[in-house]
Amino acid sequence: MHRRVLRYLAILIVTGFCATTAQALRPKDGRDTITEGHRIYDRACVWCHGTEGKGDGPSGWSIGRYAAPRPRDFTAESYKLRSTPSGELPTDQDLFRTITQGIPGFMPSYRSLNEQERWQVIAYLKSLNPAFEQEQPTPMVLPSPPLFPSGNGITNGRALYAKYECRTCHGDNGAGDGPESKAGHLRDAYNLPITATDLTDPSSFKNGATPHDLYRSIMTGLDGTPMPAYADQFAGQEEAAWDLVWYLQSLSGQPGR
Amino acid sequence: MGRHRVPVRRNRVAIEREKDTDLRTHSIGATIVQTVAGLFVVISGTYDMSVQTAEAIPAFARKYALNCTTCHTAPPQLNTFGERFLENGYQLPGTEDGGITGKKNLGDLSLDDFAHYTGVRLRGNVLRAHNFKQQNPPGAESGTVQNKSELGFPEVFSLFTAGTLSKDMGFFAEMESNLEEGATGIERAFITFNNVGGENIANIRIGKLDPSAVFSFSTLRQQLEFIGESTNSSTDAVQRAGLFPLATAAKFYGLRDRSGTVISPYAPSLYNAVAETGVEVRGRPFGDWFMYQVGVLNGSNEGFGDSNKGKDFYGAIRLDYARSANFSASLSGFAYLGNSNATVFDGTRNVDANWNRYGAAAHLRYKMLDLHGMYTLDRITHAPTAALSNFDTTASGVTVALDAYVTNRTLLSLRYDNMDAGGDLTQRTSQTFAGMQIKHYLRSNVALYARHDLNLRRAEEGNAAARNLRHAVFVGIDISY
Repeated sequence: MHRRVLRYLAILIVTGFCATTAQALRPKDGRDTITEGHRIYDRACVWCHGTEGKGDGPSGWSIGRYAAPRPRDFTAESYKLRSTPSGELPTDQDLFRTITQGIPGFMPSYRSLNEQERWQVIAYLKSLNPAFEQEQPTPMVLPSPPLFPSGNGITNGRALYAKYECRTCHGDNGAGDGPESKAGHLRDAYNLPITATDLTDPSSFKNGATPHDLYRSIMTGLDGTPMPAYADQFAGQEEAAWDLVWYLQSLSGQPGR
Repeated sequence: MGRHRVPVRRNRVAIEREKDTDLRTHSIGATIVQTVAGLFVVISGTYDMSVQTAEAIPAFARKYALNCTTCHTAPPQLNTFGERFLENGYQLPGTEDGGITGKKNLGDLSLDDFAHYTGVRLRGNVLRAHNFKQQNPPGAESGTVQNKSELGFPEVFSLFTAGTLSKDMGFFAEMESNLEEGATGIERAFITFNNVGGENIANIRIGKLDPSAVFSFSTLRQQLEFIGESTNSSTDAVQRAGLFPLATAAKFYGLRDRSGTVISPYAPSLYNAVAETGVEVRGRPFGDWFMYQVGVLNGSNEGFGDSNKGKDFYGAIRLDYARSANFSASLSGFAYLGNSNATVFDGTRNVDANWNRYGAAAHLRYKMLDLHGMYTLDRITHAPTAALSNFDTTASGVTVALDAYVTNRTLLSLRYDNMDAGGDLTQRTSQTFAGMQIKHYLRSNVALYARHDLNLRRAEEGNAAARNLRHAVFVGIDISY
């Protein structure tokens, strides 16, 4: 009897601890959370994203100067880094991932803010755009890589690279030197010149460089840039998309499959 | 990060090492200038076509995987984000990330880790040409005041290491080797303790530091690099003007330090010194709009072995506005109170004097435009009357600079400098210069530049002093990694 009480007590303590921790990490959305997020934003984010979140902070222009990218305008839609279908808003996890990982070359990782602070900032960012209240972004299903990929993964991927004319922007060897990119024809949603990603340099991938990240970028595209979503093209044959992922990885000397 | 060292204790600041065998004529020089300038255009244009990407990355940028322009409008000039990063002791604004970037155990270190804390910069003029109203006037050393063009090698190499040791504790050290001066040594070195007493309440720097680092006009962040003057090795008379931001300069002719060494009128000094040894505290206790700064230094021109009778004190305030689209502005004022930090000659010996400076500066940034300027007023006080009969105790200087990206990779810089000189009435020479520079970034960390400085005051024929310089042309390279 005594032992059973102790066991229940232990379970209660552990459960309570976990609940408390989770609560601490992800505060409830509400006025206090938004207010605290605003305070953090004013110290850490305002320099590039501006006081109203329009991406026009005092340091924002110098990041891209006459070219893309400019800092994110949180009052607009068309988010680049998402796990949701093209045209939709990002999920909270997408925002959290971007803040945590940063964007190579353009935005530092803010791991230096603790998790709770990052969630508070996200609550504030969402308050800048009423669409977040009206929509409930739903992430696309991003399956795990197949355990047993097709034997010709990279070869298939190369064929897909050609089929979908990736070379037009990214070049024959993926160095970001495709004819459209070299000619300066690529423009973002603000009509600023933009260059295609150098696929041979994973450290420059804005949306991450893991197989999952690549898969997500292919399927959802990067809204506001010339990079389209290929979810429709791969509908029903998602496994083929993994072959393209392996090929992209092979461009930078990564092992692939 | 560094610039031409200005060792103000020396008689000659950045002394031009003239080559006796240089027999080039002005016409040949002009041809060389044209040729190199042409090459500059061709090389930059050709390279521009071949390089499609511009990934930057010296030091902090490498550490945070960012382009230089995250913190700089154009290196070394900081943007607002970069200023707050600096103020926060090399931690991202609004954070205290020292723990994340803290030191690893020695066995866990890799070369990449080392690279995250270390950067290098090589820069200087591969061509320089000076043109005078009168060549080799009386009083000038042979070959110094002479129209000519010289080819050279980038003469300044800087190695710097900086970062955070732990949460809210940072460090910075810069070593510089200057071939022109033949000098190598520690340029700046200090440690920082940040957010003492609360967020942005007090940030402390201790060591050999640049007091104007957080001012609206920072001595070390000018696009037009320092070009050293030439002085007569035996008389200390200025033969050729130095091209410096004159608001930062000493401005007095005939002023000496406590060891009796003549202080160059061009040397950045006092609050605007390249570096002095001391401690300072600054913070923004009432929010981002207001910053205070107070500090104490061993004294102008004093090293670690302080021979000063007392200490020099300074205080500054800065008002900031950064709430409008793509715009930021700041307004600053400072007072620097010297304490027996200079000497003047009273006819028989050098006697102590207090050398003070007061200044105000403003900085405006809007998109591609970066405008900043400063006015300074210097006064010599507590000097004996006998020493002042032939000595003007007041001097002032103005510098206004404008930097603008005219294309995504091309930076145009203009600078206006005026010095109403003080000091020895028989030597002092007020002057006004205008400088223009085009800097083209082949990559974001490799740039070529061409620069022209023009003497706006009427050149004085037969005068070996500063106003004899009519104009100067420089072509150089600036590499950071």
